[in-house]
Amino acid sequence: MKKSIYLVLIVASVFAVSCKDFLKEEPFLTQSNALALSDYNGLNKAVAGAYSPLADGVWYGADYVLTSEMRAENATIPTNTDFQSGRYQQPFYMTYSADATVGIWGYGYYVISAVNNVLEEIETRGIDSYVDSSVSEQDIYNLQAECLFLRALAHFDMARIYAYSPAKAAVVGFDDCIPIILKTDKTAQEQPARNTVAEVYAQIEKDLTDAESLMAASYTRKSIADAKAAASLPAIQALLSRVYLYDQKWQLAADYATKVIENSNYKLWTAAEYPSVWGQSTGGSEVIFEIYGKQANSYDEYWEGPSHMTNPKGYADCAASAALVSLFEEGDVRGTTGVRDTDDGKVMFCTDPDEASGGEFWTRMYMGKGECDATSTPDVNKLIFLRLSEMYLNRAEALVNGASISGATALNDLNTIRSNRGASALTSAGAAAVALERRLELNFEGHYWFDLGRNAAGAITYVDSRRGDNVDATSKFWALAIPKREYDVNVNLSHNPGF
Amino acid sequence: MKKIKALFAVAALIISTTVAFAQNIRVTGVVSERNGDSINGAAVQLKGSATVYAMTDATGNYAISVPKDGVLVVSCLGYETVEVPVNGRNFVNITMDTDAELLDDVIVVAYGTVRREANTGSVTTMKKEGLAEAPISSVDKLLAGKMAGVQVTSSTGQPGAATDIRIRGISSLNAGNQPLWVVDGIPVESGDQSIFTNTSNAMTAINPNDIESITVLKDAAAASIYGSRAANGVILVTTKSGKSGRAQFNARVKFGASYLANDNNFTIMNGEQLVTWQREAAQNAGYNPDDPTSPYYRPYSLITGELNNWMKNFTRLGFLQEYEINAAAGSDKGKFYSSISYQKNDGITYGTDFQKLTARVNSDYKLTKTLEIGTRINLGYTESNDTPMQSLYYSNPFFAGMTVLPWTPLYDEDGNYNVNIPENSNTNPLYTATHDDQWEKQFRVHGTMFLQWEPVRNLVFKTNNSVEGTFGEGRRYWAPDPGDSEGTLQTSNTQYLTLTTSNTITYNFSAANNNVRVMAGQEAMRRSFYYYYAYAPTVDAQIPYLNTSVAADDSVDYEANYRTLLSFFGMLDYNYDNRYFLTASLRGDGSSLFGSKNQWGLFWSVGGSWNVTNEAFMKSTSKWLSLLKIRASYGVNGNNNISPYRAYGVYASTAYNGGNGTLPSSPDNESLSWEKNYTWNVGLDAGFFDHRLNLQFDVYSRKTTDMLLSKQVPQTSGFSSNFMNIGSMRNNGVEIQLDGDIIRNSNVVWNAGFNFSYNKSTILDLGDTDEMTYADDSRIKHKVGERFYTFYLKDYYGVNPSNGSALWRHHEYDENGNITSTTLTSDYNKASYIYAGSPEPKFTGGFNTSVSWKGLTFSAFFEYKYGNKVLIIENRYINSDGSQMSMNQSTRGLNYWKNPGDTGVFPKLVAGNSSNSYAMPSTRWLQDGSYIRLKDITISYNLPEKWVKAIMLKGVKVYASALNLYTLHDVDFWDPERGLDGMGYGVYPMTKSFVGGVEVSF
Repeated sequence: MKKSIYLVLIVASVFAVSCKDFLKEEPFLTQSNALALSDYNGLNKAVAGAYSPLADGVWYGADYVLTSEMRAENATIPTNTDFQSGRYQQPFYMTYSADATVGIWGYGYYVISAVNNVLEEIETRGIDSYVDSSVSEQDIYNLQAECLFLRALAHFDMARIYAYSPAKAAVVGFDDCIPIILKTDKTAQEQPARNTVAEVYAQIEKDLTDAESLMAASYTRKSIADAKAAASLPAIQALLSRVYLYDQKWQLAADYATKVIENSNYKLWTAAEYPSVWGQSTGGSEVIFEIYGKQANSYDEYWEGPSHMTNPKGYADCAASAALVSLFEEGDVRGTTGVRDTDDGKVMFCTDPDEASGGEFWTRMYMGKGECDATSTPDVNKLIFLRLSEMYLNRAEALVNGASISGATALNDLNTIRSNRGASALTSAGAAAVALERRLELNFEGHYWFDLGRNAAGAITYVDSRRGDNVDATSKFWALAIPKREYDVNVNLSHNPGF
Repeated sequence: MKKIKALFAVAALIISTTVAFAQNIRVTGVVSERNGDSINGAAVQLKGSATVYAMTDATGNYAISVPKDGVLVVSCLGYETVEVPVNGRNFVNITMDTDAELLDDVIVVAYGTVRREANTGSVTTMKKEGLAEAPISSVDKLLAGKMAGVQVTSSTGQPGAATDIRIRGISSLNAGNQPLWVVDGIPVESGDQSIFTNTSNAMTAINPNDIESITVLKDAAAASIYGSRAANGVILVTTKSGKSGRAQFNARVKFGASYLANDNNFTIMNGEQLVTWQREAAQNAGYNPDDPTSPYYRPYSLITGELNNWMKNFTRLGFLQEYEINAAAGSDKGKFYSSISYQKNDGITYGTDFQKLTARVNSDYKLTKTLEIGTRINLGYTESNDTPMQSLYYSNPFFAGMTVLPWTPLYDEDGNYNVNIPENSNTNPLYTATHDDQWEKQFRVHGTMFLQWEPVRNLVFKTNNSVEGTFGEGRRYWAPDPGDSEGTLQTSNTQYLTLTTSNTITYNFSAANNNVRVMAGQEAMRRSFYYYYAYAPTVDAQIPYLNTSVAADDSVDYEANYRTLLSFFGMLDYNYDNRYFLTASLRGDGSSLFGSKNQWGLFWSVGGSWNVTNEAFMKSTSKWLSLLKIRASYGVNGNNNISPYRAYGVYASTAYNGGNGTLPSSPDNESLSWEKNYTWNVGLDAGFFDHRLNLQFDVYSRKTTDMLLSKQVPQTSGFSSNFMNIGSMRNNGVEIQLDGDIIRNSNVVWNAGFNFSYNKSTILDLGDTDEMTYADDSRIKHKVGERFYTFYLKDYYGVNPSNGSALWRHHEYDENGNITSTTLTSDYNKASYIYAGSPEPKFTGGFNTSVSWKGLTFSAFFEYKYGNKVLIIENRYINSDGSQMSMNQSTRGLNYWKNPGDTGVFPKLVAGNSSNSYAMPSTRWLQDGSYIRLKDITISYNLPEKWVKAIMLKGVKVYASALNLYTLHDVDFWDPERGLDGMGYGVYPMTKSFVGGVEVSF
């Protein structure tokens, strides 16, 4: 009797203790959030993964760049309507609405939440808890800097699409930007309101300057195929230069451009190199930061990627406009024309050899990325985000607007680029010359639309008669609609004018 | 501890003192029935004492020590309790009468049995009778049409196939809808657990003939004790035990044949019909069918050569064989039942067969007077072979059979199966069936051991412990095309392992007219699952196994998960004077599946009933009204049927830049919880004329709340949706079950039964939205205010009598969604979508009848379904109005528009037309799926005893059955059953079977 009572008591007490554990079954083929970030390797993988959505089709997997080119009339849909697949009608006809807008909202905040998780976890646990004999404090700082770079980049790209630039916001009188998110809302219940344009740019600049002070000059991410598809100190500085340019902080823009220009690791492509560099699968000497596009990525657009879209034998929806191609002077390698297949690797704009597209020119900037035939799946869909010539252009524009850098002039900066492109030297460099050079140099890289948008007077007069109304300086399209699905779940979001 | 001992000592002293005061004598005797058969297991008890009692042994003997003037109370389930004064006798024989009302009326319910009279919940039961004859592979098929409120849907007629069982409708979008199966007190695996085969059914591991009874618990009062798993109802299966007395030995063999059912004269075109049809289509499109340069060159010479009916080529006569031996025996100490069976069913297409081998041992043994031990061990091995189906794919014989052209030859010049069939992507299902593999082999073992201790009469401690394992191996092999040397191989290896312990204490007591039963219990369950998968696209066709694969081409996968459940529960049964009954249950379930904030859930039910016939004032009606009982219950139970780890926010691997990183893949969901079902049920049980006519009537309403749906969340959180408990829906219904003995005399027994169920589902709330698309097919929507499944199709009108073109309706709507105007259009793109009805039947049921005369029994069973819609997806190809010029067609398509004025016909044939007249999301292909099916008709004969005895046997029974002999329906297809969603396509249709068998007992 006594024995059995003891037994019952023991069993009961063991049971009471193990009750909680018995019901605890944690996933082991995926990692719970808490476990995933518990050590340096976990953090490092989470940072590596945070780059991944940049390659999605709505972002640098194609749309973010190509729709911008289409809106700005660097790109056009082919005149032969039987020829195209029907994609890219929206940015051509400007039929944007809350139901149909640029879709990076979700992916932008996805990247932001991924890096915020890492930053928050480091803060909660303390840097010391990650440091050991093989992990230094600097290793953690480098990860923090990468996170801040990505957070700034995501906020910046969303601000560019869904809000007016600082200059236009002042003119239009509407300065709602996007919500700044610095901590992940784990309950998914919060309905954040929009911050002002000034607040968002201040946050982006703060994140980038913090990143600059945290990251080691020599740091490059390990175990990756393309070192230029990860944040580095020059990438942080180059992005800062661009953000300051958008924020019209001319001196800072020039200062940061100069830092990168003076970095001996980067040098301009020569006119001889220029036509063939675009086919490379990883970054060339000019590239500071790019998005790595390969089929092996979890985010890869296959047929929807830029190479298939700008391929007359592919979907063929994104041709180069006559307005763009006609801007280049004779001998400028950036504007050379030829016939596809025959002149591959020699010219930048090609016509379709079968002439089925009706004489349309097609950029070869995304050539070679998957050999560009219509029947095999495009493999490489790399997109360049920051490169050296932009730094010269940033500085030239800043100098024109009153910044000063010892020994540098806008004219020299422009001519440095032009001499490497086979274009004739300029004799003077005013604001218009800088803007034109920027359009020529950075065509089909997603700049022109935003370069117009960041100036108070920026506007587009369409050349193509198929297009709709021109985009004037205060047009609603400079701040496109936030997706409707977000309004359905967030009552605190204000609407952009006209949407 | 000492205090407790002291307390026991005092209590023992008091009891022994009381006993000591009276003068005890030893009384022995035999308890028997009127006919002299002894009664085993009767309780002989001293009136007024809970501790002084004895049980009779296998020969009815008892021995008890009682006071000289005591009174013996003798009770046994199924008999009327008797009281006998001892009057100083040492030898008292007691005779008991069977309780006419109670005999056969003990039903298995959750954690025990109950007299039907005392039952307060809504339950339906089925006894073993009739289980043996039907050549079924699993017990679930047996339930079809037999029980009100239990809808059993077959989506395929393939041997060994799974069924979809819905008890009182469908309750969930994202958690499961299948009921919980409980075998001998232990919840078990059910459903399809194969990897590559079209279907499989875990229940096939149980030999239907091993089953003693099946009880379906439908309402909250009956099922809620199963807590978080009870929302979709519970099916309790009790397997056979031996009986004390003479050993029994049975042997059984069964043979049968099956073929494709086709009771609505559905046929495909022959060569002549098709060539005429195609020529007309070509001419209508402006082509000359006799011009060899025309894309539609269809000369009459096509049909001068060999012609094939491919449906005939691809199907065959299926064969069924089944062998079984079972034995049962028992003594006063123990009893056992054991069986072994083998079944092989060759399907009606080549390459389709199903085999199973089952073995069972059930044993019970009384270790001491108070301690009993029992084991239930079942082994099942199943092997299922099939070929790709359930898709409109070229290698599916049920699709290719209808579409390959009649003039395509079956064999090539070398006498091999012709694989040069361009209209079928050069695929010949016969070649596939002979060269490719697609199989699943599963070994299932379920072992249960219980220990029952009854230290004091009516106080029972029981511990029931079980291990259930499923070990599966799967293979899919695609042989190379003739001439090539490398095949593609996929293999799988799966294991499910469930450990369960169930421990209960039950106590019964009666005082005056108050009868009380209380039960308290605890259960714990842990289930693990793993799955290995290998894909090898380049194995040697000579040795088509993984060992010849080229490693660089291979890929592998692994999946695994665990889940646990911990429960505490209690139940109270009370009745006053067998007139007023009350049942209450309470269960707390803790589950690893849910979020830390909601890991524990509480489920409960209350049920009451009033047995009006036991009231004194009902004496006058007792002549004709033998039972009138009113029941009512209310309660809540849950649905935890979701995949593991949904509550955890997790990081998953993501590939980028030549390496792997991690990204958040699902958000934390600490609040994730079960779906809840609130059910009320009001019922009436009535028996007339000494129970010759019995009626069971139930009305219920079942509301599901906290339905798990993906809720849209602000993307600023990093996610776009989260799995949350937000939706709700309702099922309302009525059930009637009526059974009667029309003739009951010593020569002839004729009985008949009828059941009817009406259920209507309504979606009440879907969270953010008022419409969701069915996950499997966009042609069905889930819409607030409508039934769970609602077809969403373009509104087809018919044919324009003047030119033969297809017409659709185009509706204009006002802001409230009401139609303001309707116009007809021949432009498919302008056709309006409408909500076109539901695949859920309005009502279902069955009726059966059986007549016995001397040893001869004839029985028939019909099943019916009414008011459900089915969508025949195949029509897109086989009734194509000319758009499919390289496929054979249904003969329904011969009734097409020929002359102006033709109405009620198919559109004008136009070769290669793109009018979309044949398009699938169209009400044109929506049909009424109602049917009445003569599911089973059996004639059996027990050979007269004198003949049997002469050959030293106990009994010989021969029988013959026909299954699915005839189905009355209007669906333009082989068979009207198309699965729960009414749109199962490319499936193995129902078959008709004829079976004969012999059963011999020794």
